[in-house]
This record gives sequence, structure tokens and C-alpha cells, in this order.
Amino acid sequence: MSVIDILTRVDAICNKYDKYDVEKQKNLNVSGDDAFARGYAAVDAEIEAALEKAELASKEKSKASIVALNAELRRTKAKLLEEVPKLQRLAIKKVKGLSTEDFAARNDLVLALPDRIQAIPDGSAAAAKQPGGWGPSASHTEIKFDSDGRFDDEYFQESEQSNQFRQEHETRKRRQDQGLEMISEGLDTLKNMAHDMNEELDRQVPLADEIDSKVDKAASDLKNTNVRLKHTVTQLRSSRNFCIDIVLLIVILGIAAYLYNVLKK
Amino acid sequence: MSSDPDKLVAKADKLTKLTLTRWSADWRNATLNYEQAANAYRVAKKYEKAKDAFEKASKGQEMLTSPWDAAKHMESAAALAKELGNWNDVADLYRRASELYVECGRAQPASDALGKAARAVEDHLPDVAVQLYTDACSLLEEDDKDQMAFDLYRALTAVHIKLEKYTDAAAALLRLGLAADKCNASNSQFKAYLSAIVVYLYANDVKAAEKCYNDCSQIPAFLGSDQGRCGSRLISAYSEGNVEEIKRLAQSSTITHLDHAIIKLGRKLPTGEVTAVKAGTEEGEGLDEDDLT
Repeated sequence: MSVIDILTRVDAICNKYDKYDVEKQKNLNVSGDDAFARGYAAVDAEIEAALEKAELASKEKSKASIVALNAELRRTKAKLLEEVPKLQRLAIKKVKGLSTEDFAARNDLVLALPDRIQAIPDGSAAAAKQPGGWGPSASHTEIKFDSDGRFDDEYFQESEQSNQFRQEHETRKRRQDQGLEMISEGLDTLKNMAHDMNEELDRQVPLADEIDSKVDKAASDLKNTNVRLKHTVTQLRSSRNFCIDIVLLIVILGIAAYLYNVLKK
Repeated sequence: MSSDPDKLVAKADKLTKLTLTRWSADWRNATLNYEQAANAYRVAKKYEKAKDAFEKASKGQEMLTSPWDAAKHMESAAALAKELGNWNDVADLYRRASELYVECGRAQPASDALGKAARAVEDHLPDVAVQLYTDACSLLEEDDKDQMAFDLYRALTAVHIKLEKYTDAAAALLRLGLAADKCNASNSQFKAYLSAIVVYLYANDVKAAEKCYNDCSQIPAFLGSDQGRCGSRLISAYSEGNVEEIKRLAQSSTITHLDHAIIKLGRKLPTGEVTAVKAGTEEGEGLDEDDLT
């Protein structure tokens, strides 16, 4: 391990445990009586955690985990927003041992809280796309109204632009439908052919098994025949040797007879 | 051995005829001679003589208790008879060959022989062809080789449709379905059922088609399959009298995957008056209510 590694690791560990350290100090300072400080510290910690999660979400690659993290963030935000009015009430209460400056500061802090909570990015900011981009918008987020609720007559008038857009949308959808129909027919044919191939193969399996067994039998028959043939051939050859023996014997007998004749004379 | 086939045949005949000097016929040599003569005739394109020589050779093989070779010779004889155009002969020779194959215990070549016979005569003697196809299918089914019977059933259906005997065609298709069921060939089975429904509709027999559909729906897999859905849509289109729907369904891909003969029938749907069916079903509903009460 290099020195740099050691340093980074020590830094990380200190940071982790610093948290506890600071909390302890704060708790000692506050002496456990000040509900506001406690609540505020808790909300602060939760905001920090939420910001961390938001950063994680922005770095995530898989859409499903992004969606899950964003949903969790929104839940946390809603919870924190609920806590804010409680904290406001606590802030107004006078606590002994607190200076007026601190008191004013508390109020400001509490007022700043909602903004900070809203500022936590949770993916809904990205969804406020212009409807000029066509096709179904990926609205897994809240529906945002551009006009802040001013629904007067003019708002619902069909503009030329929106008509055109709708027509284009319909034509493209029709073309898509046609393409999809062609694909579906092709797939039908493929499915039919695949089924037929399946049945054909099923038909041929027992035939192949029969061929297998017949060929095995033929092979063993051949082996048998070969072995017998070898035996026969060796026998034949040795019988040739046998004939040579007989011939030599006759020659010797002839020589013996000749010698006998010579000796008799 | 002289290569003149006539001489060979004469020699072989002499070998087999029992006379005072010859007490037992020499079938082996005779068969050899007959075979050689038959081949020579075939090369010389003398089909009549070749056929006769093959028949005699086959008889020789039978005498030598080798039914397989006998059957093979019979088949060759039958093929030559086909060249000659003696349809009755063709049928008889192929039947004889199939019997010999059955003697060997080989059902597959037996049914093949009958199939070839049926294919040869189906243009000229369709009834005989029907009989041959049916026999071939039963041979295979006895031997549990249903898969091979599919093609034969399809050919049988085509023959029936050509003869315009639509009930028979539908019956053949249902038997196809039964054979397919035995081997778990569900795709072929469902296609067979849908074809039967189409044939009934073509014959303008909507009631029979509905009955057929209901029977086939006993098999749950059929209901949920492509073919089952197409069938139900066809029947409902017929009962509503919706001609465009019928035409559209007939062009759909499910019908296109069936046999050629059935596709031709499907394209010609609907036949006859379709609106009349509406009144018929209303009557049917009235009867149903009576039955319920």
C-alpha cells in the first residue's frame, strides 16, 4: 500500500467518524433541551442524505434504479416539507439561554429550509420538456402546467401548429401500424415454419434411432467376419508351410532312396 | 449366359416346369435368369415383357422364401405397369408387393408401396386411390407410426376434394387430427381441424361446421390457439352474415399456412347465401329458450 492510499483511507475514516464527533459536540452544546435544534439538525442531516442520493441518481446508468431513487427522494422531500411547519412553530418559541441574534437566525434558517428541500434534484426538473418534441413524452414524472393554471378561453383554442402536429402524429402512427402488420405476418410465417420443422424432427427421431441400432449390428457383424477371415487366412498360410514341409520330406526320401540304390549296388 | 432376354426367359421357364426328367424345379437359377431377362427388357424398353419377367422373378423369390426380394421385384413390375398405363395392373401389383412387405414385418415399405400405387392411379381411378390411401394409413397406424401417415391423409383429402366429396374430405382431416393427437403434433392437429371447418363451410354446411368447431373445442389447447381463434371468427362471421369479414379472414395468414387445396377453397369462401344463415340462427335461439324452460 502506498502512502497516498493510507492517507486517503485515513481521511475517509476521519470524515466518517467526524460526523459522530460533531453531533456529540452539538448535543453537548444544546444540552438536550432544545427541541428546535434537535429537529433542525435532523432535517439538515436528511437534506444532506437526500442530496447525496440525488447525486447518486444522476450518476446511475440503469433507468429502473434512477426511477426508484427519484421516487424515494420525492417521498423524503414530502416528509421534510411536513416537518418544516413544526420547526417553524418551535423556532417562534422562546428558549432560555438563547440570544436574540440566534433567535432571528433560527427563523431565517427555518424559512430557508423549504427552498433547500425543493432544490434537491429528483428528476422531475428534467421532465418539464417542451411538448414541441413529438411522440409520447416519457412522463414518469408529475404533469407540469406551463401556464400556472390560467385556463382562459384562448388556452384551449386549436392552433394551426397543434393541428399540423396532430396530423403528422396520425400519419406516422398509421405508417408504424402498417410496418408492424407486415412484421406480424412475417412472424406468423416463421412460427408456422418453426412448428413444422419441430414436427418433422420429432418424426425423424425414431428413424434415426433405428438407423443407429441397425448400423451398430452391421458393424459388429463386420468385425466378427473380419476376425474369422483372419483366422482362416493364417490357417491357409500355415498350411502352405505345411506343404513346404511335405515337399522337403519327399525330397529327403528321394535322396535316401537314391543312396540306398547306390549302396545296394 | 446368353444376354438375349428371350432366350433367358425360355431357359428359366424350362427350369421351372416339372416334367418326367425334372422332379423339382430349380428356382434359384430360374430366378437369376428371370432377373437378368427383366433388366434386359427394361433397358430395351420392352415394358410389357419386362413386367412379365419381373413378376416371374418375384414368384421365384417367393419360392426361395425371400419375401423382401419378391416384394422389390413386384414393385419394379408395378412401376413398369405404370409406364404402360395399365392402371388396374398397377394397383394389383402394388397391393401384392405391400402384402409381401407385411410378410417381412416391415410396415413402412408396405404403406409406401400403397402410397405410390394411390398416387399413380389417383387421376384415373380415384375410388381405387381412396381405398389404397386408407389401407396405407391403417397399416401405419397399426404399427404406431402415425407421423408418417400425415402425408397420406393430406393426399387423401386432396383426392376427396377433387371428387367434391366434402364430408369425406372433412372426415379424413379429422382422422389426421386424431393421428396428430397421438403423436403430440399439436400444430398439425389444429391445422387439420381448421381445414375441416373450412371444408364444411365451403360445402355451405354451416351447422356441420359449427358442430365440428364445438367438437374440436373440447381440446382446450385448440381454443386458445391461432387456428381455434380463426375458426371461431369464421363461424361467427358466417352467423352474422358478414361477407367482408369472411373474405378478410380467408386472406389472413392462418389460412395461408394450411394445405394448398384448402387455401383454394378458402379463397372461394363464402359460397352460397350467407344472409340466410342469420334467420337460421335466430330460430335456433328460439329453440334454445324453449329447452331452458
